Amino acid sequence: MKLNRRAFMGTGVAVATLSAPMVHAASHGKPKVVVVGGGAGGATAARYIAKDSAGEIDVTLIEPSRSYYTCFFSNLYIGGFWEIENLAHSYGKLAADYGINVVHDWATGVDRDAKTVALAGGGSVPYDRLILSPGIDFVDGAVPGWDVSAQNAMPHAYKGGSQTELLKAQIMAMPEGGTYVMVAPPNPYRCPPGPYERISMVAHQLKANNPTAKIIIADPKESFSKQALFEEGWQKHYSGMVTRIGPDFGGGNVTVDPAAMTVDIDGEVVKADVVNVIPAQKAGLICEAAGLTDGNWAPVDGASMVSRMDENIHILGDATNQGDMPKSGYSANSQAKVAAMAVRGALTGSRVFPAKYSNTCWSLIATDDGVKVGAAYEPNEEKIASVSSFVSQTGEDEAMRKATYEESIGWYEGITTDMFG
Amino acid sequence: MANTSGLFMSVLGGAALVLGVAYGWTARDYRIAELDALTERLAQVERSNADLADKAEQATALEARLSTLETELATALQAVEDAQQAETAPAVVPEADAETVLADAGDPSFGDPAKGEQVFGQCRSCHQVGQGATDRIGPHLNGIFGRRAGAHADYRYSENMQMMGSDGLTWEIDTLDAYLENPKALVSRTRMNFAGLKDPQDRSDILAYLRQFSASPQNIPEAAPTAQPREVDLAPEVLAIVGDTDYGEYLASECKTCHQQDGSDKGIPAITQWPTEDFVVAMHAYKRQIRPHPVMQMMAARLSDEEIAALAAYFAQTE
Repeated sequence: MKLNRRAFMGTGVAVATLSAPMVHAASHGKPKVVVVGGGAGGATAARYIAKDSAGEIDVTLIEPSRSYYTCFFSNLYIGGFWEIENLAHSYGKLAADYGINVVHDWATGVDRDAKTVALAGGGSVPYDRLILSPGIDFVDGAVPGWDVSAQNAMPHAYKGGSQTELLKAQIMAMPEGGTYVMVAPPNPYRCPPGPYERISMVAHQLKANNPTAKIIIADPKESFSKQALFEEGWQKHYSGMVTRIGPDFGGGNVTVDPAAMTVDIDGEVVKADVVNVIPAQKAGLICEAAGLTDGNWAPVDGASMVSRMDENIHILGDATNQGDMPKSGYSANSQAKVAAMAVRGALTGSRVFPAKYSNTCWSLIATDDGVKVGAAYEPNEEKIASVSSFVSQTGEDEAMRKATYEESIGWYEGITTDMFG
Repeated sequence: MANTSGLFMSVLGGAALVLGVAYGWTARDYRIAELDALTERLAQVERSNADLADKAEQATALEARLSTLETELATALQAVEDAQQAETAPAVVPEADAETVLADAGDPSFGDPAKGEQVFGQCRSCHQVGQGATDRIGPHLNGIFGRRAGAHADYRYSENMQMMGSDGLTWEIDTLDAYLENPKALVSRTRMNFAGLKDPQDRSDILAYLRQFSASPQNIPEAAPTAQPREVDLAPEVLAIVGDTDYGEYLASECKTCHQQDGSDKGIPAITQWPTEDFVVAMHAYKRQIRPHPVMQMMAARLSDEEIAALAAYFAQTE
């Protein structure tokens, strides 16, 4: 295996030297790849480039957090099925085992002409190829009355870590018979089934600890991911606890008052004990700062995840507008492998194969009641298009649901190993 | 008068004293006699008890003797019967022997090998048994009875399986039965990704079937090799494709999102180090929707024959 790769890389470098001398001349030695954002997209891309180039490419990963808390599976922590420590991952192996230069700092801007990334801590990092995988930020004013300064009173818990812990603490401290309100986001947003899996997990906690409590969802969307599966599950496990107010009943017309802890849903004011505001989303700020967005998202070419605005910058994951793929950790991980291959091909002349993408999202509804939805994707000229898909069925037996849940745990182990080594 | 009266009182008093002493002696004698009688009775009872113990011992000895005589008689009768049968129908003898051996395996409800062969169908994509059986995804199962767990040379077992073997786990009817019922309950991180056979009869049948391919105890007839039909009928040229491992490595990156790269198995089976042909057959079985899993069907659906061969070639060589 290793011999194979070395022999193969040797050929690749020779080809690169002949066919792309400009690349090497511009970079004074080894080609440099800078990756901004150490999540499912960025960590995977950094790891694959470092691993598969076997020292031929310098890889720098810029990520402010020293521990990465996955957003996926954070709902299971809220439901009591997963420990917070098991959501946390270190960048140690990427640095020690893969030789990646891990820089814990904020990337504040990109000079696309000079090909450098500016750091909040001062200085800048040069690149031959840049990979941006910044995830999401929230659209200003998306929910009137809410901004980031109110996220302690009304947490979003839609970026992993402290917000997740805060939301769970608030749910556990709800008074008997209290009210939890979720303000659900409009499309497109990170993790389409995420808000509804969260509702399931909150209901699971409340059923055990506070069975007379109520859950209200104010939702601007007509329909949502795995809707039939979630609604069947809520009826089966949490009958009478969950009320969803869709757009027909004003679920899209919401204002919040964090000081008073009230939510105004189309004129009806609800006093709540926990308000989970998940605002409308947009690409992580660095994309906008680098001038790579069109509207809220960064458009990319599905053949290699390269920006449609800069041929030296690839963009991954939630921040992109790529076509049919959902914004998910799985998608970002899948896209990262295509981008890593394209970047290696461009910098070292290694072989580049046609892009293939896939995604599967598992959700837990109750104990041992797991469901999933997934699709395979391939790029065309216009976008990344779905070529086949599947979804769990209503009325599946308990054994299949349990197997699906266990499979999701296997996936968590698999993808986090794929990201962090 | 007073003197007469005094004398009378003295005589009376003396008589009373004599009577009293006499009574005292009498009562003492009476108790001594009674004690003697009780002691005698106690001795009798003790003797009687000793007799009983002797008799019980004798009874046990007699019973043992009787049992021996009965066994000898039964053996003699059986020998006569066998001799008669051997005279009339000698060809039947080996079958009768085989049945006797199976019955001797310890459980009167021991299963039906013919049914077991059918049940074994679900094991066959990973395990071979019979003449010419080799290790595939799982080890071959010839001689499994009496074998130490994880001890078959040349097969790479999970660490847990090896540990269980080192700790003394040996495959006998009861341990195999427990393992087949719930593999991960017995060997928690076994690489065998099989939910288990819940029906005790299925397990008995499958063990009766497998039992035929183990050498011990003696007199198991040589069974025919198991049929090895492939799950999907693949043209020889499809199986003959030599995969491009570099392409396979790229394609495999998609598999590694879920399947553990170190070959461990947590809710999702390990796919490293499969024999190339088994990998190819399995992927085509997903592609044609003969195997049921929706994610795998989706993944396989868009893979060409060359791409499946590339993946098989890559995974066969992973460490």
